[in-house]
Amino acid sequence: MRKILINTLFITLLAFGLQGCSKYFDDLAANPNQVTEPTLASLLSTSTYKMGINSYSAASAIVPYVQYTASPSASAASDTYQTQNFTGLWDALYFAMADANELKKVASSVEASEYIGVANLMLAYNLGIVHDYWGSGPFSMAFDVSNIYPEYDSPEALYATAVQLVDEAIVEFSKSGSSMALAANSDLIYGTASAATRRTQWLKFAHALKARLLIKVSKHSSYNPNAVLAAVENSFTSNADDAGMATFTVRNNWAGVANSNLLQSLGGWLSEQLIEHLDGTTYGVFDPRLPKVTDLTVDGIYIGTVNGAGNRLPGANTRHDECYISRNSPWTSDNAPLLIVTYAELKFIEAEAALSTNPDRAYAAYLEGISANMDRFQVSAEDKAAYLSNPVVAVGASNLTKDLIFKEKYVATYLNYEAWNDARRHDYQYKDFTMPENAALSTYIRRLDYPQGEVTKNGNNVPAEVPRTTRLWWDQ
Amino acid sequence: MRKLLLLLCVGILCFSPDLMAQQRTVAGKVTDASDGAPLGNVTVQEKGTANATQTNNEGQYSINVNPGATLVFRSVGFNTVERAVGTSNVLDVSMTFTASDIGEVVVTAFGIGREQRALGYAAQSVNSEDLSFNKQMNLLDALQGKVAGVTISSLGGGPGQGSTMRIRGVNSIDPNISGDPLYVIDGIQIDNSTSTLGAGADHSARGVTNRLSDLNPADIESVNILKGGAATALYGLRGANGVVVITTKKGKAGEFSVNVSSTYGIDNVLRKPAVQTMYTQGVLGVYTHPATGIGPAWGPTIEEAKQIDPTHPDKLFNNFDRAFLTGHQTNNSISVSGGNDVARVFSSVSQFYQKGMMPNTDYNSLSGRLNTDFTISPSFRAAVNMTFTNSGGYSYSSDRFGEGLAYWSPRYDVREHSNPDGTMLWYGTNNPVWGTMTNKLKSMTNRYIGGATLNYDATSWLGFMYRFGVDTYSENRLRTAPGPMGIAGERVYDNAQGYVGEYNTGLRTLSSTFVMSLNGNLTEKLKGTFRLGHEIYDRKIKNVGVLGSELTIYNFFNLGNAAVLSSSHNSRERRLMGVFGEATLDYDNYLYLTLTGRNDITSTLSAENRSFFYPSASLSYVVSDHLSLPQVITNSRLRLSYARLGKDASEYATSSGFGTYGSLPPGITGLTLSSNLGNPNLRPEFTDTYEAGLEMSFFRNRLGFDFTYYYSLSKDQILQAQITSATGYVTTSVNAGNMRNRGVEFVLFGKPVANDVFTWDVNFNLSANRNKILSLPTDITYGTARGYGNAAVAQILVEGESFGNIYGSYFLRYNGGNPDNSQYLDRSQPLLITPDGFPVLSGSNRKILGNSQPDWILGFGNSFNYKGWTLHALFDARLGFEKYNWLENFYSAFGIPDYTADRRSFKVLDGVYADGTPNTTQIWLDQRFGPDGIDYGEGYYRRFYRNVSEPFVTDASWVRLRSASLTYNVPQTWLPKKAIKTASLSATGNNLWLWTKYYGVDPESTSYHSGSNVDGSAGFTYPSARSIMFTLSLGL
Repeated sequence: MRKILINTLFITLLAFGLQGCSKYFDDLAANPNQVTEPTLASLLSTSTYKMGINSYSAASAIVPYVQYTASPSASAASDTYQTQNFTGLWDALYFAMADANELKKVASSVEASEYIGVANLMLAYNLGIVHDYWGSGPFSMAFDVSNIYPEYDSPEALYATAVQLVDEAIVEFSKSGSSMALAANSDLIYGTASAATRRTQWLKFAHALKARLLIKVSKHSSYNPNAVLAAVENSFTSNADDAGMATFTVRNNWAGVANSNLLQSLGGWLSEQLIEHLDGTTYGVFDPRLPKVTDLTVDGIYIGTVNGAGNRLPGANTRHDECYISRNSPWTSDNAPLLIVTYAELKFIEAEAALSTNPDRAYAAYLEGISANMDRFQVSAEDKAAYLSNPVVAVGASNLTKDLIFKEKYVATYLNYEAWNDARRHDYQYKDFTMPENAALSTYIRRLDYPQGEVTKNGNNVPAEVPRTTRLWWDQ
Repeated sequence: MRKLLLLLCVGILCFSPDLMAQQRTVAGKVTDASDGAPLGNVTVQEKGTANATQTNNEGQYSINVNPGATLVFRSVGFNTVERAVGTSNVLDVSMTFTASDIGEVVVTAFGIGREQRALGYAAQSVNSEDLSFNKQMNLLDALQGKVAGVTISSLGGGPGQGSTMRIRGVNSIDPNISGDPLYVIDGIQIDNSTSTLGAGADHSARGVTNRLSDLNPADIESVNILKGGAATALYGLRGANGVVVITTKKGKAGEFSVNVSSTYGIDNVLRKPAVQTMYTQGVLGVYTHPATGIGPAWGPTIEEAKQIDPTHPDKLFNNFDRAFLTGHQTNNSISVSGGNDVARVFSSVSQFYQKGMMPNTDYNSLSGRLNTDFTISPSFRAAVNMTFTNSGGYSYSSDRFGEGLAYWSPRYDVREHSNPDGTMLWYGTNNPVWGTMTNKLKSMTNRYIGGATLNYDATSWLGFMYRFGVDTYSENRLRTAPGPMGIAGERVYDNAQGYVGEYNTGLRTLSSTFVMSLNGNLTEKLKGTFRLGHEIYDRKIKNVGVLGSELTIYNFFNLGNAAVLSSSHNSRERRLMGVFGEATLDYDNYLYLTLTGRNDITSTLSAENRSFFYPSASLSYVVSDHLSLPQVITNSRLRLSYARLGKDASEYATSSGFGTYGSLPPGITGLTLSSNLGNPNLRPEFTDTYEAGLEMSFFRNRLGFDFTYYYSLSKDQILQAQITSATGYVTTSVNAGNMRNRGVEFVLFGKPVANDVFTWDVNFNLSANRNKILSLPTDITYGTARGYGNAAVAQILVEGESFGNIYGSYFLRYNGGNPDNSQYLDRSQPLLITPDGFPVLSGSNRKILGNSQPDWILGFGNSFNYKGWTLHALFDARLGFEKYNWLENFYSAFGIPDYTADRRSFKVLDGVYADGTPNTTQIWLDQRFGPDGIDYGEGYYRRFYRNVSEPFVTDASWVRLRSASLTYNVPQTWLPKKAIKTASLSATGNNLWLWTKYYGVDPESTSYHSGSNVDGSAGFTYPSARSIMFTLSLGL
């Protein structure tokens, strides 16, 4: 009797328990905090924002190498070529590519050509930074959820991929009449342009990135200056075309660095190299952009910090007796765009590419580059004219040299990541450019060590470490 | 007052007039048959039910029983007595001493009361008096030092600041998964999470609390800690980290009694950093006044400064002393207990207020409880328990405060923080006190926990129990900071352009439990009890927050006044259902075998994997009742158990998708790939645990011990493995990682002195846990700390190593030119010294510098009774673990620690040159030019010492006098008759004495919040308090 009762109860219990319970649990299968079907616009805003922010993050890593900035601390790892762990930057680049990759998938499924173009350009830009900084990186095997240990592609393969992605973007942006034009509110780069011109702006931007990619191999046998010039010609025609991202939660990230510095979280100190480049010490001409780059110190002078040496003694490091990145600069004010690539930079690319074959064109581009950049810095017409007519600058077409072009481009790419590519292509041969004090390497830095995050998470695929003085393939 | 309460209670009873049934109260006195002395702590249980009580110190008891009931009297060391309740309401019993008995009843899974002797696993309980003597308001703090195998950390002395508890070490490899045990109060599973919503993350969190603090410890009758797998098996996957079973006080039939208690206490900082008192404000030896930047103590001596600045004070301010004030706390409570055969009530109201030692921090708590028990008929009983708490207060980030204090020069008094116009008085750096005054976070929680239980005994051998429970709270946090007033030159610290933030958390859990019990004699000697049960648990959490910044009117804290709004919004829900069975076989009252099995179904795993089963078996063998043992052995018992525990995944670990991209500015929305790659193939993880124990007591229980060894092996742990960003994700959920824990627990108890006027009880507990990560696919890095240069450490979990390793940079060593492959830093090797006399830093290279898990945990409790006086003294210790201290790192960077007073001297560092010969080069420790004419720049402490982890990862072992309490029970003859029945006065001190080698702060305190598993580093903590409290208790 008791046994029967037990069995009956047990079965009842189980039946009660299991009845309809499948739905009870299935109801919670979907994550209410996520969606599985993103829209084109929702990924466009993310991707374009990340492009702007990554341009800043990537530049932050290398601005001490090109000696735009210098650390307030002596022997700082950033200034003295010590190994640094750039996992955060690497991850930001790959997460941006992952979102762009998703955008590309959605866009391809509905044949939204402009969105495919943007996605390709995002992939090319972020991948280009991986290539420029580290050499190898995963791409052909990346973004595959069935493989959490993607293999690395060679630097040459990454470069070829980046060029190919830009070419594909050019094809997509060249298609007019797309039924799905880029959503203005979600396009944080050219969203303010009229709907009619937005596509052509992006097309010019694609050509601008192509020009950058092609000039990068200037030391390599594959270098084709005519292709560079062709890209430039299809690219920006004025400062109005500049690609920048100016949508911030609070303020421009460089302005944020300046603000933090004032609030005693030190950073954004300008290097003596940059200050002397501009103040006449190095070239004998005072560059009117200097007051537009930074502010006078409390002592009423312009003075930079020596890389690797740290804060100038005897003042405390919180005494404002050095020059810093400034929120008063049109380049780094609260609302200034994070400039990704500019018309001025393209003019210097043109000057460099044309120099050997067409010095007149090169010289005109050189002057136009300076002029356009000065306009960006809101230099007065008088000051600009004076500078442009100064014999140190106005050397004439026949006397234009690569050094001069690089000298001026150095200012135009202030706080832009491309500056390190140029410095390496130019073998750091800027006038009076010297090794930092307390350097950890015997010569200039040429690449970054792979980030520790990759070593721990994908270690078997990370290429063997080589010295940071080893040049990448295009730098040899 | 008493009349009022009586009326209230009578009113409650009147709602159930027709429930008057036959249950009645039996009372009596239990004495020792040998000498007639009263016997306290005798368990009196109504046979066949969980209805039980205990005798008081006078041997008296009172219990409500059903007609025809039989009472079972049990006491350790005495023969069990069974007596049928006759017609009389008085039942006196005398008990005879026996060679062996271990008869205490403990509350196990689902409120099932079981004799301790039948349990095949370790279960340690703490009763009301032991719990409450040190007047801790957070239940976890109240348990500190009292239970073996349990690590409880009080995170600091902040008002309402949280605490953490880990049972038998860390069980989850994934540091993002809470290692918190399951808390069950009167059978209802309750939440003890720590929310940081709106309060900052990690070490910046503002003194947030663990939600167990909503319980009023004074309401608690007993706490039973279920440690091993066999103990928690019936609770299912939620009990995998151990279970804390809390039983609250119940009303007893008889005259209503009222207890009133009032406590007032003061808190002072327990431990302060030792600071140098010679050198003042300045940088590189140069005095700067007014200060133009941060330079608290690298200036000249006071005398030198006074030459330059006659206004310089004669002595430096000790701003740690100046910043932290004396805290105050008050706690008033009243409880009422009583009832009749039909209904019994326990009700309490408690108010607690604490003003923190850090300026502008406080905590308030108001709680009420109503526990009712109804005997509807002899076979039908019901109980309803409920509690409501309103708690909250102002909190501030201890890390930010301590950091500000480190920058603040001892040249200036930190208490002078404001200009007359209300702006901050700024001396080259921000004033941290002004920070606490303007940058605020106020939290408020309303919480309700309630449960209803029905018991029906269909026959003498068949019973049913059903319980429904609810635990729900809403917490609001309001963050405010004014923007600038527009006064020229004003400084705003962290307030930027002003903030107003509203954050709301809502949680609700529902639980339903059904248990059917059968019992009977299978043969003459073999008895069996069988239980079958069903459980449902459903938890939902929702977090919504909006932060407004850039205020238009600088001090109008309204979201509509904020130019920029950013929001956060998420919710999670999980459901769980379990079906379980338990069979207990009792052979001749000395051999007990318990078998359990449970099948869980969880919503967090896919349909294919969400149902899983796991069993347990435990054996208890009361040797002393089976075999004849030497007379000195009072009792002896062996325990053996095996259990398998299953565990599910976190919510939504199986799915991936796109989440909102929170970095986008207001007005723009976007999506980004979720950070975790979901894994639909996740399986439940299982842990196998083995446990063996031996209990023995001697000399009529004057001395005894309880020894336990345990071994647990977790396989296929579900963790979020960090994967390369080239996949597009940060982590993926995987079944990977095996971890082993093994350890011992030893409890020694005794009564060294026991006579009519004086007794001394001792309880000593010691435990040790050893952990090893047997397999892990990729390293897990967690717990980033703060520090200059490469000083900040990380905790990294690596296959083959122990949980809790601390990795950091170090001074290079000379090892005779041998390759240096060790993961561990060998501090015994000589330092490598450069020709200029300085050491060499490892840069970003890291080695294992220590481990955060203690080797040993000890507790040593004493209680002395002499006439009306009772003295409790509780020591506890945590030994053999390391911690990185970023307070010391910051202090050394600014020339603050006492040892930096040696700066104006030469030193030859102990070490060798690269060729192995001893270093003989002297260095000047101060900044700039030494007497030797060499420019030392920023000096040894700033160039070397502060930039490396090694000096700051130190032994954090501690020993302390956790609590001492002296109580005087006023003789009844002194009290006004009728008005006051009992009265006692007590003085209690917590954290009265601390020994540690750790620099500056109590190593138990931490900058991380109670929801964090980061324990290998700490910096600017909310200092631990040394509390002195006075209590008056009256029984009316």
